[in-house]
Amino acid sequence: MNIEIVHAVIDDLGALLLFTMIIIVGASQISRAIYAVAFQSLFIAIAGAVLAMATGNVDLWVIAGITLTVKAIALPWLLLWAIRRMDVKREVEPVIPDLATLTLAVMFVVMSFHLSASLGSVRQAISGNALPVGIALTLNGVLVMATRKTALSQMVGLFASENGIFFTAMAVTKGMPLIIEIGVILDVILAALVMTIMVLRVRSTVDADIADLDRLRG
Amino acid sequence: MTGDKPLGIVLIEMGILVILGPLVTGIIQKIKARLQNRQGAGILQPYFDLIKLLGKGTVQADTASGFFHSIPILVLATTVAAGALVPVVQSGPPAFPLGDALMLLGLLALARFLTAVGALDAGGAFGGMGASREMTIAPLVEPVLMMVVFSTALAVGSTELGILAEQRGTSWILAWRAADFLGLAAMLVLLPAETGRIPVDNPDTHLELTMLHEGMLLEHSGPGLGCMLLASHTRQIVTLGLAAALFFPIGPVGAGVTGLLLGLCTFAVKILVLAVYLALIESSYAKLRLFQVPQYLGIGFVLALMSLALRIL
Repeated sequence: MNIEIVHAVIDDLGALLLFTMIIIVGASQISRAIYAVAFQSLFIAIAGAVLAMATGNVDLWVIAGITLTVKAIALPWLLLWAIRRMDVKREVEPVIPDLATLTLAVMFVVMSFHLSASLGSVRQAISGNALPVGIALTLNGVLVMATRKTALSQMVGLFASENGIFFTAMAVTKGMPLIIEIGVILDVILAALVMTIMVLRVRSTVDADIADLDRLRG
Repeated sequence: MTGDKPLGIVLIEMGILVILGPLVTGIIQKIKARLQNRQGAGILQPYFDLIKLLGKGTVQADTASGFFHSIPILVLATTVAAGALVPVVQSGPPAFPLGDALMLLGLLALARFLTAVGALDAGGAFGGMGASREMTIAPLVEPVLMMVVFSTALAVGSTELGILAEQRGTSWILAWRAADFLGLAAMLVLLPAETGRIPVDNPDTHLELTMLHEGMLLEHSGPGLGCMLLASHTRQIVTLGLAAALFFPIGPVGAGVTGLLLGLCTFAVKILVLAVYLALIESSYAKLRLFQVPQYLGIGFVLALMSLALRIL
């Protein structure tokens, strides 16, 4: 496949990733944020498939497949299941106003584009705008984690952040060794399982969310 | 900047927009009705409403000044003038200086201002309420629309809508840059707000708590109300036309009569796609609380800003 077309496609997927990220930051319902993160993972899987076609790297096909099944289907399903189990109909609870969060999100995006523009020759080796998009996703994921009170929304932020790292790694290295990618994915699955169990346990024993835990006194 | 589009075609395009405006509203209402398992009124119903209103007498509030009479005419005139700037059957700039996308947005803003002034002039409580709400929403929508226009204009190097549409007409979907996607996303977020639809405004209701645009029309009656309704139909199709000119890749093509007919067909398809989008959004979302509207529009703002930033950086 023509290298310029690959760059264009990766660029466009980057735009869609940023779009889903803004939806996650601005979502007023947690289920919507979860669907957005699922779509984000789907786009990353597509990006993996495109890179696999371009480079002929078989590992990337495997990684795209794993991303699709685990991150785009299994983990969102787990989160939605936890929501149903906990019967959370509430909107996400932000620490600072939503508009302030959105402003911060834009600042992160502009900042990461500005910073990676100054990288110069390093940037030439990387497909399209993948590096700034990846950095922006990572920072915005951290932003979501920092500005939400409920554990489930923070998990969504963690997944988005992880997606950013994954996307950067994939686009920068044209495919990491398979064993590393699988290790990362297993880490994510384990973290998701542990966190879900923790959240359900905390909820069932003390009927509080993690934001209430800082009022605990020994 | 001048091109080779003659005055006649510009006038024909303007006429097409005014004539098709109510049809778009009718189609949206029909789709909505079918999605709600209702039969719904025919798609020509807005025309019947307009004809009925134009044949009625006028009742005016005692407190209204003489200016109130001319409001519907002025609003209709500014909206139709905005329609002249939208490329419909043929792309490319007109043969004489007419105005660009900023002029279009300015005319739409002027129409909105006149509507609000009329609502305040009549002295009704609902009119004032509607006007104040509309004026709260407008500053959030208009700058973002301008940013979307700028984002596209930066790539082409002109704010002339005809040139923008021509450029888009020759570019394939794979030639879309990342900024185009973000701009389109921002446009899709803004469309319901600019056309006065759910989740920002509810066009079907006269319930005091929920209305923005309808509240401002309450004091008008008879032919005046007809003009205001026609103006809002036209405004809707003009906004859709703006979105189509900025983003849809199948641009108006060709010359001669067949070219014009082909252009008209593609335009109809583009508008139909956007109308179906609006109907789907309106059927699947609830109207937002007024205080949540800024957050919804904030998403559009962020997307437009990113799109602009991506173009510049």
